[in-house]
Amino acid sequence: MTQVEVGLWAQLVLALATVSVAVLARPALRARLAGVGAAALGVAGAVTGVLALTGGQGRLVIPLALPVDPVVLSPTPLGGFFMVVAGAVGAVAAVYAIGYVHGPSASASSWAALATFLLGMQLVPAAADAVSFLLAWELMAAASTVLVLTEHRERLEVRSAALWYAVMTHLSFLLILLGFAVLAAAGHGTSFAAMSHVDPASASTSLAFVLLVLGFATKAGIVPMHVWLPRAHPAAPSHVSAVMSAAMVKMGVYGVLLVVLQLLPAGRPWWGLVLLAFGTVSAVYGILQASVATDLKRLLAYSTTENVGLMFLAIGAGVLLRSYGVVGPAEVAAGTALLLVASHAAFKTTLFLGAGSVLHATGLRDLDRLGGLGKRMPTTAATFGVGALGAAALPITCGFVAEWALLQSLIHGARPEDRLVAVVMPVAVAVVALTAGLALMTFVKAYGIAFLARPRGPEAGTAHEGPATMRVALVVSAVAVVGLGLVPGIMATAVVRAVGLGGIDVFGVAGLGLPGVGAALDPVALTGLALLVAIPVLVVTWRMARRRPSRPVDLAWGGGGVRVSPRMQYTATSYAEPLSRVFDDALRPERDLEITHAGESRYLVERVQFRQQLEDVVEVRAYVPAVRLVDRVGLAARRLQNGSIHRYLAYSFVALIAVLIVVSL
Amino acid sequence: MNGGAAALAVVQVVVMLVVSPLLVGLMRQTRARLEGRVGAGVLQPWRDLRKLAAKETLRASGTGWVSAAGPLVLVASGLLACALVPLVGAVPFVSVPDDLFVVVSVLLVGTVALALVGLDAGTAFGGMGSSRHMTIAALVEPTVLVAVYALSIPVGSSALSRIVLARIDDPASVASPVSLLALVALAIAVVAETGRLPVDNPSTHLELTMIHEAMVIESSGRDLGWLELGSWLRLGALLGLLGSLLVPWGVAQDAGVAAVLVGVVTLVLKLAVLGCVLAAAEVFVAKLRLFRVPELLAGSFVLAFLAVTASYLVVQAG
Amino acid sequence: MTPVLFAELVAFCAGVLLLTGVLIVWRRELRAIVRLLAVQGVALAVLVAVIGIDAHLPELVAVALLVLVLKGFVLPVVLGRVAGPAGPGRVETPMINTTASLILLALLTTLAYLVSQPLKAAGSGPTAAAVPIGLALVLFGFLVLATRRHAISQLVGFLMLDNGIAAVAFLIAGGVPLVVELGASLDLLLVVLVLQVLTGRIRAEFGDLDLDDLSELRD
Repeated sequence: MTQVEVGLWAQLVLALATVSVAVLARPALRARLAGVGAAALGVAGAVTGVLALTGGQGRLVIPLALPVDPVVLSPTPLGGFFMVVAGAVGAVAAVYAIGYVHGPSASASSWAALATFLLGMQLVPAAADAVSFLLAWELMAAASTVLVLTEHRERLEVRSAALWYAVMTHLSFLLILLGFAVLAAAGHGTSFAAMSHVDPASASTSLAFVLLVLGFATKAGIVPMHVWLPRAHPAAPSHVSAVMSAAMVKMGVYGVLLVVLQLLPAGRPWWGLVLLAFGTVSAVYGILQASVATDLKRLLAYSTTENVGLMFLAIGAGVLLRSYGVVGPAEVAAGTALLLVASHAAFKTTLFLGAGSVLHATGLRDLDRLGGLGKRMPTTAATFGVGALGAAALPITCGFVAEWALLQSLIHGARPEDRLVAVVMPVAVAVVALTAGLALMTFVKAYGIAFLARPRGPEAGTAHEGPATMRVALVVSAVAVVGLGLVPGIMATAVVRAVGLGGIDVFGVAGLGLPGVGAALDPVALTGLALLVAIPVLVVTWRMARRRPSRPVDLAWGGGGVRVSPRMQYTATSYAEPLSRVFDDALRPERDLEITHAGESRYLVERVQFRQQLEDVVEVRAYVPAVRLVDRVGLAARRLQNGSIHRYLAYSFVALIAVLIVVSL
Repeated sequence: MNGGAAALAVVQVVVMLVVSPLLVGLMRQTRARLEGRVGAGVLQPWRDLRKLAAKETLRASGTGWVSAAGPLVLVASGLLACALVPLVGAVPFVSVPDDLFVVVSVLLVGTVALALVGLDAGTAFGGMGSSRHMTIAALVEPTVLVAVYALSIPVGSSALSRIVLARIDDPASVASPVSLLALVALAIAVVAETGRLPVDNPSTHLELTMIHEAMVIESSGRDLGWLELGSWLRLGALLGLLGSLLVPWGVAQDAGVAAVLVGVVTLVLKLAVLGCVLAAAEVFVAKLRLFRVPELLAGSFVLAFLAVTASYLVVQAG
Repeated sequence: MTPVLFAELVAFCAGVLLLTGVLIVWRRELRAIVRLLAVQGVALAVLVAVIGIDAHLPELVAVALLVLVLKGFVLPVVLGRVAGPAGPGRVETPMINTTASLILLALLTTLAYLVSQPLKAAGSGPTAAAVPIGLALVLFGFLVLATRRHAISQLVGFLMLDNGIAAVAFLIAGGVPLVVELGASLDLLLVVLVLQVLTGRIRAEFGDLDLDDLSELRD
């Protein structure tokens, strides 16, 4: 038995053990035991992933008691990369959950579902054929639906969120199933190896590509299939949102990479364009919605759509450039997609866990009522700040490195000979730049409003830091954000092995080199340079501070007034107001201004009431009509069912006759 | 880290540290003279800094480490940008690319620090300034990146030093339509990013219009001093970059003493001329309404985008 | 004329054409728009003259002079008189906001660049490379026609459209015959003069030139 096989077995055993511990252990011990079990499961997944990445081979065949092929697990290096991401995120979230769970999220079913969810997610990238892939995929989808439903008794909106999630995730399953079916029919086999022999130019292959991309994009939260994300994330417990956002949506990205790198490597140009279009629209739309969101977890959910959009953009650019023979930048773009995956996993885990700490301490997700948490929750504030820097792609974080690589590949990809590439690349650069700018604004808002200034509500004023396990998990993920940004060479090594292409390598000590486009970045040197210029500034400040220490006063200036109610501070809504006006046409907020005049006067105002509501335009315009249509069809179908047993028997009778006729034809 | 680049970086940092306040003084003086006032003299910013350093620093209760560290981060990011941008000489570091994305990110760290300082005191003014500041920063970014993208196409590299060197080698490229369009776009972006007219009025304290001043309104003493110095350094670095792209001659191509001296002198001259032009232009324009600013930025973006498109046309023609 | 100088002059004129097109969409004051149109006319004339001198075609130079007089001076002056003195009423309020129209310009330029390949194949050298700019001007003109309210802006859009068509014609085939150009120009002049009279009457009648108000006339 090879090491990889041991790792795969270990995951199955650990998952089973965790589920049984969750069900059998006393409630007082359950969180600790099951949490450790789930964390070990995550670590096992990550280790197996590393083994697969470093060239470890292994093949686990599990026969099923069904008339189908046995489940075959045999992770490729690419799958190994995603196993590392999923396992690491799962392990951190499990440790966090030990201290975080309370009420329904501490129940046996919730822990059992978490372990099943982690197992399913770690096995998706290990699957070697379509059937195993779909089984693992469904395990992941079903368990995550249960997890989203956790708090359905406490909060009514959870039920609707879970419904949306269940429908969308099964739509995704269906599309992927159809896509694989088309490929399997063309390739005469369900194993990925058989499927990769299909003719890339045939119409059925293109059909399979479209179906698979739509299915994976739905799971990845790509616009316009993103509607479940901003509902499911606020509804789920925070450690679950962290895993869903940082790892589960990446399985959609893995699926797309599986298609364009392994199953159908000879992509057509329009495939790249499709991916690019999905990516650009999602990136801009996601970050726009995030920038005006006031619910912290909704904001993070939209930011996930944005980041996954950037990954799709990178993959699309890679496919497009490769089909035009622009090899170097194409390889960089494909590798950059994985850099984005790793960095997003790191900072989004930190952010969701940080949001969980805020929720744990205050019971609030609404930024407009938070404030001043930095004083009361220093660890959460510091780690959330690091995560926010990562999400805003500022140095020195992994987000910065990944976005730098993305821009490099796009800038060097354009060739004037190919009109299409020449036109698409500047648009992509502009989109990435706009996204980066808006992300900056979004996360300054999220951090500044929640953690700085004064508490805007009583809950924020009495906040406290969570238990030690939560803080440990937060610190670990924040260290990953900075660590991967400081020594991106680690990521580069993993990416090169996972993609199996050149274009990216380690530069200097552990910097990131992009030989494909002739660029290199060593964040350690940049940090050193920054310290060199910062130290004199620090020394001067320190000497000045020693001579004249600063003096706290109630209010230094306050716009010339006295300190009034903390509710007069800028809130998240007001912070995003200029932006929501600029993008009025895209966001279409509903504004309602009611002015009650005092008596007959036209000038004296008694009361002004301003209401603004921002809804997801895509949801309102596309989904509400669709849901209404389905409703109507459902009502019509209801006439078929009147409860009479005779009627049902008659249906079966008719069906039997129909089948007989069809068979005889 | 290569010695020549390090020496040049030190020279650039020191020169910019001395010159940026003088640049601001010169701009204020120019403006004062054109408006018929006597003016406070070119040295006034330095006197202000000395005064602020000696004053007591007051901090509103409830503020945290952000108020203390923010100003320092702003200055450090400005200094780092001065070290990276080709101002005196175009000798890049081996391991730290001076491509625009890195430089912009370094400057954005300062932008974020400033915005957080504005929020930290918990007043309406600070939040207002911070919100407007970030909105503009977000909208400027596409222009900056696309403009430099246009400049990088003929060179085949996005490193600023390579672009500047290529322009020295081929003077005709400086006056090409691509380059002019991109530079106009970049100039608008610089004006917006550094808070000059018509985007922000650096000398206003009217609550409806101020952006930068609203963020620093709660700061005092050395905090305010650092914040002012930091924003002057940004102005200096960005104007210097514009100068190096517009008039690349004089930029040192190696770290020799003579070349560096020429580089320093030309840099000071370029900054002085650009500063005077900018200040003179400011006399004649009024501040735009805040919600007209996006139009200006969209316009500059279109110019940058056209520069990219045009660069393909030119490449094809050649 | 050396080939390099020729290429640079053509690129410069094309650049000015494009830039004035962008600025016409960007600006709101009608007088400024008319002035920009004049600059565009002059640039077109210079472009024609450059092509004419390079190809040693004296009749093209004559066409250039005609374009200069008509599009550089006569039409702008006439339009300027219709626009009247600067004032608060002389500002365009477009139907879609300026930011959106500017982004649209970027997309239209891209489109022009993408679809102009067959046209470019008809010519060669620097003139062919500038063809997309002429096409972009046509698209800009249509955009102005479709999104502007004021009658003057409508005329400007129409003239920009014509400038674009003329630019494409000159860039591809070295121009249209003198007679055709003469006829087209005279038609244009006639159209503008008729419209001037018409707008003058409309303003005398309604005190405004907003097309949205005019659309109520059918009732």
